[in-house]
Amino acid sequence: MNEFADESSARGLLTLALKARLGERAVYTAPEEIGRATARYFATAVGDENPLYHSGKIVPPTWIFETCQYTGLPREDDGYCGHSWHLDVPGTRLVRGGHRYRWTRDVRPDDVITATWELLDMTERTTRTGSPMLVVTSSCRYTDADAAPIAEQTEDLIFVRLSR
Amino acid sequence: MISLTRRFELPDLIAYAGATWDWHKLHYDPAYVASVGLEAPVVDGQVFGALLAEVLTDHLGPGWRLAALDYRFGSLVLAGETVRAEATITDQDAGHVRADLRVVVIDDNGVAVRDAVSRGSAELVPR
Repeated sequence: MNEFADESSARGLLTLALKARLGERAVYTAPEEIGRATARYFATAVGDENPLYHSGKIVPPTWIFETCQYTGLPREDDGYCGHSWHLDVPGTRLVRGGHRYRWTRDVRPDDVITATWELLDMTERTTRTGSPMLVVTSSCRYTDADAAPIAEQTEDLIFVRLSR
Repeated sequence: MISLTRRFELPDLIAYAGATWDWHKLHYDPAYVASVGLEAPVVDGQVFGALLAEVLTDHLGPGWRLAALDYRFGSLVLAGETVRAEATITDQDAGHVRADLRVVVIDDNGVAVRDAVSRGSAELVPR
């Protein structure tokens, strides 16, 4: 019998408990409009002098993918207060793979955003150096107060097994 | 190729953490960073998406907006380092612009020493 048959796959990272979480959702709605000051502050922090952002006409496009500010979640020991799936993958370190952003329209200062996260996929792979890794893919849809789409992102979290 | 160069000092990282409410200590707390074996606070990777958006929208002007932006991370970037966000327009007509993207860490001579974003792509459409 495979030593991992009951609890996990042959590589030992994708457990049944993790698989059972696929399809989980988390929804966060901002308590107010984004606001012109938020757009200007983000542009200033990035160093982007685009007058469209500083005049408050539109919000810098990648701002919408930063949702910590309206999760309402408590700050964790490491300081983070945003959405997390809190996946338990023992013996690994977490690295971020990348992002895929899509926009339906400009983000506007008067938008009231709802962010809907979904845990889409978990796939075991091997790094170029031969270490097992678990790639966790999730998405987030951003809609306005009328539930109309504004943007969507997909991100990969990669749990790489620590060398023993 | 079009590009922009930006240096990230610790106050820049703190400003971005404040603007995004992402208060993870990895981005500003030297003691925490040392405890996880790093030499300096880590630049939030999502800021590279913002830089890539900036280089494209600055080049094309207010008549265009982003419709898609994909990017894969390379190495970590630490406080005190300088990056260059690069975009190469690969396809352009009245209805869309497509570009290949990359962000590199550069030395004092502007020479790329490693990838911050190893590869990326974008599509813009008329506003």
